[in-house]
Amino acid sequence: MDKINRKILIAVDESENSMRAINYVGELLRGMTDFRIFLLHIVLLPQDDYFFNEEEKTSWIREKKVAGEGILHRSHKVLTDFGFKEDSIKEILIVESCSSVGECILQKQQEINCSTVVIGRRGISKKEEFIFGSTSNKILHTPKSCTVWIVE
Amino acid sequence: MLSESEIWDLLVQRLPKENLPKRLNIITDTSDYYKIGYDDIVLLNNIPYLIRHDQKEGRFGIDEQPKFWVKKAIDLIDASQKIIKLTFHERFTSRVGDITFECFRSSKKEARILEMVRGDRRFMQGFSVKDSAGNIVRIIDFIKGINYADYILTLGSSHEDYFFNYFPQVLDEYIELVKAIAFLHENNEKHGDIRRDHIIREKNTCINTWIDFDYNYIHKENMFGYDLFGLGNILTYITGRGDVTIQALKATNSPAFYTLNKDDMNIIFNNRVVNLKKVFEYIPDELNLILLHFSVGAPVYYDDTRQLLTDLQELRQKISK
Repeated sequence: MDKINRKILIAVDESENSMRAINYVGELLRGMTDFRIFLLHIVLLPQDDYFFNEEEKTSWIREKKVAGEGILHRSHKVLTDFGFKEDSIKEILIVESCSSVGECILQKQQEINCSTVVIGRRGISKKEEFIFGSTSNKILHTPKSCTVWIVE
Repeated sequence: MLSESEIWDLLVQRLPKENLPKRLNIITDTSDYYKIGYDDIVLLNNIPYLIRHDQKEGRFGIDEQPKFWVKKAIDLIDASQKIIKLTFHERFTSRVGDITFECFRSSKKEARILEMVRGDRRFMQGFSVKDSAGNIVRIIDFIKGINYADYILTLGSSHEDYFFNYFPQVLDEYIELVKAIAFLHENNEKHGDIRRDHIIREKNTCINTWIDFDYNYIHKENMFGYDLFGLGNILTYITGRGDVTIQALKATNSPAFYTLNKDDMNIIFNNRVVNLKKVFEYIPDELNLILLHFSVGAPVYYDDTRQLLTDLQELRQKISK
């Protein structure tokens, strides 16, 4: 790992475990004002084949963006309620057609140069993990230049 | 553009007089594929295709169902047999075991893959054209042969005979099939519907050919996880010379039935035995260990096709010794 900094990337989605991760960070770092928090929401864009036409794709993206912004705002509010300053929190929403959400999160971590990544564990079944994979496992097992907190 | 009389002349060359249609019905817009039937002419890129029957597909004891958007046809220019796949964009929820996920069928995806695999005989061959309404139509070379599942069942007089006398060759062929899928994955494409009856063994060349690339699914963390699951099912099938189910073992009072537990079964289809060494003790450990990656008890799974291939190639070297 390079130099440790006080930038933390938290990946958020609509799930309860994601909110648990936010609460964990809020509770743990409450009162420590010199951290910068990056809230990341990824809209996983299906391949173009999924859409009947361009209009449908545009409207699909618009809908997902609105939902994603809602998730980011709610997460933001939880952190400010814990005492984090408004300007210490940045919301990032990306719409990408990535083959792995985990890789996408780590790519963003590299870009922002955060030394800590936080995600919640979804607690999916073994079967689901087998077929669809697990983002927390992917992040855990991918070589990276950061520390990972996986919140149960 | 070919005129009606030119098309009629071609028909006369290709069909015996008594089989000629009473009148010509030439279709250039294929949007309503239900209305396209036997003896119609679909004219695409100025090539007339004489439509024969709808293709059918059956599986797991379910009667064959017509696929109205897939037609057998004859290219009236060169008399070759074709499969014509018309645009049928659907979305549906698919279920494997108790897992559901969103799937869709896409002519665009299949057209893209056909282009990518042109000349590669491990995949069905063909091309796509747009009809007069802009629908993407795939024109596929007809493959004369049997599906891989049926072929496997023709080999050997018993499992032991099959395993020692045919399986090494079958494994070589399976490795080629996995390499073909690895090629798709390296090019960021899924097959989407890997099943043993989506492989046709061509009659004359004995080349195994992947067919049907129009399925796709919404992936999550592992884009190719479902494809890998399909490959694991096929490996289990070729190792067992068919599905080895708990019901069949019980019915035959096989001693293996009393040794099996939950962990030995397929992770999704819980009645299929994956730990086949408990049934056929001569199966080498190296092969059984690969199979166990697809079992309920697996502590780790394959992340990608390359990992599976590495293990298969090591196994193949051991088997040939």
